[in-house]
Amino acid sequence: MSIGEKANTHKEYSNERNQWIGKRIARIDGPEKVTGELKYMTDENYSNMVWGKVLRAEYPHAKIKNIETEKAESLPGVICVLTYKDIPGFNGFGIVTPDQPVLCEDVVRCTADAVALVAAETSEIADEAINLIHVDYEPLKVVTDAEYAMTGEAPYLHPDGNIHSHVKINNGDVDQAFKHADYIFENTYYSPRQMHAFIETEGGWGLVEEDGTLKIQCPGQYAYRDRLQISRTLGINPERIHVISSPNGGGFGGKDEITVQIYLALLALHTEGRPVKIHLTREESVQAGMKRHPFKVQVKTAANKDGVITANQVRAVADTGAFASLGPAVISLAVEHACGPYKIPNVDIEGFCVYTNNGIAGAFRGFGVNQVCVGIETHIDMIAEQINMDPIEIRKKNVYHQGEKSSVGHIVKSSVGTHETLEKAQNCELWTNQNIYKSQPSEPWKKRGVAVSTSFHAVGMGLDKPDYGAASIELLHDGRLKVAVGPEEIGTGNGTVYAQVCAELLHCDMADISVVQGDTSETLDSGTISASRSTYTGSRAIATTAPLMIELLTGTASEMLNIPAKDIDVEDCNVIHKKDHSILLSFTELYDYLSINKTSTKVNSQFYLPKEKEAIKGSGGAPHHIYGYQTNVVMVEVDTLTGETDVLRVVSIPDCGRVMNLQGLEGQTEGGAIMGIGYTLYEDVIIEEGYHKTSNLGDYIIPTIRETPEIETIPVEAPEPSNPFGAKGIGEVVMIPIIPAIMSAIYDATGARVKHLPATPERIFNAMKSTTSSVPMSSR
Amino acid sequence: MKKIQFHLNGKKETVHCPPAKTLLEVLREDMGLTGSKECCGKGECGSCSVLIGDEAICSCLILVGQVENESIVTVEGIGLQDNMDVVQEAFIKEGATQCGYCTPGIIVAAKSFLKDIEHVPTVEEIKTALGGNLCRCTGYQKIITAIQSAARNKFALSGEA
Ligand code: FES
Ligand code: FES
Repeated sequence: MSIGEKANTHKEYSNERNQWIGKRIARIDGPEKVTGELKYMTDENYSNMVWGKVLRAEYPHAKIKNIETEKAESLPGVICVLTYKDIPGFNGFGIVTPDQPVLCEDVVRCTADAVALVAAETSEIADEAINLIHVDYEPLKVVTDAEYAMTGEAPYLHPDGNIHSHVKINNGDVDQAFKHADYIFENTYYSPRQMHAFIETEGGWGLVEEDGTLKIQCPGQYAYRDRLQISRTLGINPERIHVISSPNGGGFGGKDEITVQIYLALLALHTEGRPVKIHLTREESVQAGMKRHPFKVQVKTAANKDGVITANQVRAVADTGAFASLGPAVISLAVEHACGPYKIPNVDIEGFCVYTNNGIAGAFRGFGVNQVCVGIETHIDMIAEQINMDPIEIRKKNVYHQGEKSSVGHIVKSSVGTHETLEKAQNCELWTNQNIYKSQPSEPWKKRGVAVSTSFHAVGMGLDKPDYGAASIELLHDGRLKVAVGPEEIGTGNGTVYAQVCAELLHCDMADISVVQGDTSETLDSGTISASRSTYTGSRAIATTAPLMIELLTGTASEMLNIPAKDIDVEDCNVIHKKDHSILLSFTELYDYLSINKTSTKVNSQFYLPKEKEAIKGSGGAPHHIYGYQTNVVMVEVDTLTGETDVLRVVSIPDCGRVMNLQGLEGQTEGGAIMGIGYTLYEDVIIEEGYHKTSNLGDYIIPTIRETPEIETIPVEAPEPSNPFGAKGIGEVVMIPIIPAIMSAIYDATGARVKHLPATPERIFNAMKSTTSSVPMSSR
Repeated sequence: MKKIQFHLNGKKETVHCPPAKTLLEVLREDMGLTGSKECCGKGECGSCSVLIGDEAICSCLILVGQVENESIVTVEGIGLQDNMDVVQEAFIKEGATQCGYCTPGIIVAAKSFLKDIEHVPTVEEIKTALGGNLCRCTGYQKIITAIQSAARNKFALSGEA
């Protein structure tokens, strides 16, 4: 075993003796949230503030011939009007490829593009100034379809053409497998342009402080990367920029990329020390914000009579809109996950990330897996039906176990709970009593269906990206402890988990811990809040740091009292004698002693997340080391007269490794279920000829409380050996298998397969009417 | 500019502002009460809900000129951290808040709903009452549980049920 491997194998931590970890714990930020006392950054106010606004492109694709700002500049109350000419550094941003101009110079490629910025005394004056900026455009041909964009006919939207990335995974020999298969299923699936629809739209503050520090307070998902991207555009050292990125009124990946941070930074340079605020209206957020990549996915699956899947061929095309952002990483993850958590010996998978003029797509909970899970899961159900096999049994037969080879060809060494989640599904009340439920529709013209699906999602970054965790713990003057971890609070409750871990390891009450997240002057760089990584990363980083704090505390007490450090322990913010648990000193006394002696009361440490050793060439980062798994059972009811569909019950069976906080886990499974229902049945941002037809939450339907089914969570805990507590991650997979489960439940109810999501009443109705439902083709 | 008077969280307040300013803007900008949020600005999401009289209303749709002499209660008026309402306590205990941006509006709607009823509400009743409040994080299930548990606690406290 190499050193790296050893470092990633922990003795299993027993949750039984725990006071905090693994319990159902209420959120630490609950009180300030339910009373409205928490100031989100978009709630802040400064008396000397000015308002910032962004002029967006009028056309989805056009040449800029001229930008005239004089009229806007001379409007009373306008403080500055900025264009590309005012950018001191590099005019571009983007997490993977900085191909998005901060302010467009010669061309606009989507209506999200920013052309100019205004700062003014009031929001109304800023709006008026935006209207007074005159941009001369020459409209260009609009590329509205990703498949068309890939042809030679489409105009190039970027110098290297419209295919931003092309990734592949090949394993075995699909041609041979198709030749010898008993059954082959082949279909094409389309997925929607889902919007994050976080309740807090993008916004924040920029300010140049008296000492010259540029302070950006803006909800985000990775303060250090935001800082780096700002620094490039401004051409200044990142050290001079202070980014505060937490808390967020919702993220889901939609605040992973730069939203308005760079605009705030540019404007702040021109407001003479006055704080500038931008807060997008919902309409602007719909037009300018990231969306989920719509995919076209062609899938061909082969199986034998015994239910063994022998081959899967997938071609996925992702519409990334005008810029890459995290598109290339999304398509890589899609390719890695396109065959599900199965051991299919022959696979041929390829994915394209393609530019169009359809707004911008980027990171979104599930990260490409939502789009591709549908093909394999639907085909497994088709195979099961064909050979008359139980849909859970066929999955159990094909899933990989820990230590086995996955479809992409690597041995999975981390924990795998799929099989157990399927067993739990098989025994759950909804599944065992499904026939009774199905025989009781609420109206005679309605039909009920029950279905199951399973999927997985990687935890942490792929092989091609660095992935560090870090934490610091500080003894405060009042004897309490402050734990600082990078990943932001975007709603998931990771901060509560951090407090639980810190309290557990330092043997104190959670109330004695304060948590800081997402702040470049307080937290070390510990990566993103994305990739389902923040529970794993934060808990492990704190577990690596806590012993250093104990060493500092017991060492200091030993020095003060002349007792060997090994006889000393900590408990309830005191140091105690190990033998009789008598209190020796309080933490406040230790703090005083350390500060008199000018010794730091802060400790910190880092670790590197475990990675696979061998990359799959051409895959863009596969395979990952750790995965979370989930199985869903759902029941739907379809109105056969209208196609309207309700999801009535959901059973979510996640494997996130050891559960750190049951309430937090349920928060994820329930929220994920509803977001998955929205994706499958309702949500789609409509863009026609490059223009958004969707404008606000009136014409973009997210599920309301009325659509909430009964959701049950049955956790499976397959402990992950590389985390000290056995934890993995869960934030994304919770919304994945529910998508194909709903699609198959609609089929179970009506015999209609909808392959184009969202499955609107119209599409379901048409599918019910149509007779062209997929029939197995003979392969010989 | 117009002088407008109303009762806010039990106190008489006077503001001088354009009468066409929305109540939400006045609360957030003039009164410094930022518990009420703007998410859609169009009456679609309920995150700006406040009580006007006993009714939960979207304050983004109300012009401040319309609330002359009215009595308004915001989430801050329902309870602060040292004197939380049973509804707020139930939301914390049941995990009915995540990112929390929708939460103040939902607390206001729940409070207004519970005022009018004398029993532990059914799921269907809660769904009807809260249908105008969007939440993107929780999936609503814990909100339903929290409202039922708040009702139970409310009756336990008042000895009604
Ligand atoms: S902000 Fe008022 S209803 Fe959405
Ligand atoms: S808790 Fe985030 S929107 Fe409701």
